[in-house]
Amino acid sequence: MAAKSGRGVAELETERSENGRKSENNGRELMLGLYRMLVKCRMCDEKARILFRQGKFAGNFYSGVGQEAAEVGAAYSLREDDWIAPSHRDWTANIIKGAPLNLCFAQLFGKATSPDRGKSTPAHMGYPPIHTITPASSIAGQLAVGTGVAFGLKKLGRDTVVVSFFGDGATSLGGFHEALNFAGVHRLPIIYVCQNNLWAESVPLRLQTALKDLSERAKAYGFPGIPVDGNDVMAVYDTAVKAIARARAGDGPTFIECKTYRWYGHSEIDPAKYRMKEEVDAWKKRDPLVLFEKVLRDKKLLNDESKDKIAKEITQEINEAVEFAEQSPYPDASELADHIWAPQE
Amino acid sequence: MARNITMIDAITEAMAQEMERDERVFVMGEDIGLSGGVFKATQGLYDKFGEERVLDTPLAEGNIIASAIGASMVGLRPIAEIQFADFITPAMESLVQQASKIRYRSAGGYGCSLTVRICCGGGTGGGLYHSQENASWFVHEPGLKVVMPSTPYDAKGLLLAAIRDPNPVLYFEHKKLYRTAKGDVPEGDYTVPIGKAETRRQGRNMTVVTYGYMTSLCLEAAEKMAKNGIEAEVIDLRTLSPIDKETVLESVRRTNKCLIVHEDKRTLGIGGEISAIVAEEAFEDLDGPIVRITGPDIPAIPFAPPLEHAWMVNTDKIVAGMEKLAAY
Repeated sequence: MAAKSGRGVAELETERSENGRKSENNGRELMLGLYRMLVKCRMCDEKARILFRQGKFAGNFYSGVGQEAAEVGAAYSLREDDWIAPSHRDWTANIIKGAPLNLCFAQLFGKATSPDRGKSTPAHMGYPPIHTITPASSIAGQLAVGTGVAFGLKKLGRDTVVVSFFGDGATSLGGFHEALNFAGVHRLPIIYVCQNNLWAESVPLRLQTALKDLSERAKAYGFPGIPVDGNDVMAVYDTAVKAIARARAGDGPTFIECKTYRWYGHSEIDPAKYRMKEEVDAWKKRDPLVLFEKVLRDKKLLNDESKDKIAKEITQEINEAVEFAEQSPYPDASELADHIWAPQE
Repeated sequence: MARNITMIDAITEAMAQEMERDERVFVMGEDIGLSGGVFKATQGLYDKFGEERVLDTPLAEGNIIASAIGASMVGLRPIAEIQFADFITPAMESLVQQASKIRYRSAGGYGCSLTVRICCGGGTGGGLYHSQENASWFVHEPGLKVVMPSTPYDAKGLLLAAIRDPNPVLYFEHKKLYRTAKGDVPEGDYTVPIGKAETRRQGRNMTVVTYGYMTSLCLEAAEKMAKNGIEAEVIDLRTLSPIDKETVLESVRRTNKCLIVHEDKRTLGIGGEISAIVAEEAFEDLDGPIVRITGPDIPAIPFAPPLEHAWMVNTDKIVAGMEKLAAY
C-alpha cells in the first residue's frame, strides 16, 4: 500500500541535498537563540497538551509539535513593530514574537488575565502590543485580514511587514486566491508562510491539490514561491530573512512553503487514525529539535550540561506561567456584552 | 447654504469633503476609480485624489472588505464599495466573521473603523441579481451598524457619520433613489446621528414604520388615507441596527396601531423584529394586529416587468394595509 500522504521524507531529503541550501547565519548567539526558542515552543506546546488532557482547560488545542522549525524560523527575525497573522496552530507565534508566557497560558484557560479576557478559544491568541492578530477560526480568514494590514502599512509608508501563518488546507479557499492576488498586484509587504504538514485535518494533500509544491501557486500571483525543508530551522530562517528584507524594501510578497509534519492529530480530540504509523514515525525521526541539536553539538555550541540548563530555565518559566493562569480569575459574567462597540470618539 | 440636489450627488459630496478633511479616508471598490462607479457615485474623486485614495480593486468582494478591515486596523478610514448588494455574498466571511467580531474577540484590542457602501434595491428592471435589498442579513450581526437613508440630506449626514464612526458601518443606498430623491442639502459639514429614527409625518391614527425607498411610498399612501380622515404617522428608521426602539414605541403608544412596510422579503425581515419589539413592549397599547406590508417570500425579483411589478411593494398595497388596520 502506498503511503497515504502525498510526499515522503526520502523525497524531501533528496530535494534538500539538490538545493544544497547552506546556512548563511551561523553566528553563535543567533543559533543558540533559535535553539532556545525551538525548545521553548516545544515545551510550552507539550505542556498545553498535558493541561488539556488533565482537564485543566476546556475547548480544544491545536498542537504544532513537529512544526516548530517553520514557526520559529519564519518569525524569529521580525521586529517589534512587525505583524503576525496567526491561525489556529500558531499559539506559539505569540511566544516567538515576545508575548509574556503568563498571558499565553492564561489564554489557554480563558482567564480574565488573557489578552482577550476569555473571549477567544484557547489556541486562538493575539496580543495587540506585539501586533499578533487575534484569529478567527475560519481558515484563510487571517490570511485575508493580514493582507489588508499589509495594504494599510504600505499606504502609511511604513517599512513594517506582516507574516501570515497558515496550513496547506488554507490554500484551497477562495479567500487565499483573492488575498495573494491582491498582494501581488500591490507588491504588499507580506510573507505568506505555509506550513504544509501534508494533511488538512484528515484530508491528504493528494486530495487537496494536483501540484507537487504548493509554493508553485505563487507564480500565478507574480511573486516568488520557495519550497523549504520546514524541519530545518536555519533553512527556514535564511529564507524568511531574505523574504522579510524583500518585503521591507518594497519589493513585495514571498510565499514560503515549509514542508513539515504535525506529530499529533488536528486537535487534541483527533486521534489521527487516518495516518499510517510508518509515515508518522519517519517524520518523528526528522524531529526539528533533534536535527538542530546535532548541528549545535557538531559546532560545539551545545552539550548535555547547557542543554539541561536551558530546559530547566524554561520549565521554571512554564511552571510560573501555569501557576499564574490557574490563579487568575475567570472573567465576570458582567463582561459578556463588553467590547462589541468602540467607545465613541 | 443648502442646495436642492440628488441623493447620488449628496453621497459623492460627502466622500469628497471627508477625504479633503481627513487624509486617512480613502475609497476602494470595483469600477470606482477610472470610470467613477457604475452609478457614478465616485465621479470626479479619482481626478481629484488620485489612485492612492481612489482605488479600483480586482473583482473580489471578499478581498475588498478584508483589505479594508486590515487597513482600518492600522488606523486608516476606508470606504469600501460593494457595487450591488446581490454580490455581497463573497464578502460574508469578511463582514460577519471578521468585521463584526474582531473587536469582541480581542476584547477591544483591535478595532475596525470601516464604511461599506452598498447599492441595493429593486424596481429598476435589474432582475434577480441587481435588485436585492438584503440589509436584514447584517442586522442579525451585533458588531455591525446598518443604515439606509431615504433623503439626500440624510444620505450626506449619515455617510459622514458612518465614516467617522469607530465601528464597521454598512451603508445601504437604494439605487432607485439615486436620481429620483432630491432635496435640500447643506454645503457644509454635518452629521445625522446613527441609531436615531426620523418621524417624516405626524399622525394620530396609526404608526407606519419603514425605511429607505419605501419611505416616500408610505408618505404618498398616508396622504391618500388623509383624504378619508385617517392620519398616519410615518417613521423612517434610517438606522436598521441598532434600531431606535424608543421612537417607534413612543409613537405606537400614542396611535395604538402599527403598520410595518419594507421592500425586503417577509420572513425574518426587519418587520418581524419590529413586530416583536412592539408586541413585547407595547402590547397593552395595541388596538389592532400588527400589520406587515413587505416583499414576498420569493427568492428574488424576476426580470419581466409584470413580474417585477407584482413583486414590489407599491402605494396601493400600502394603502390596502392601512385600510385593513384602520378598520380596527
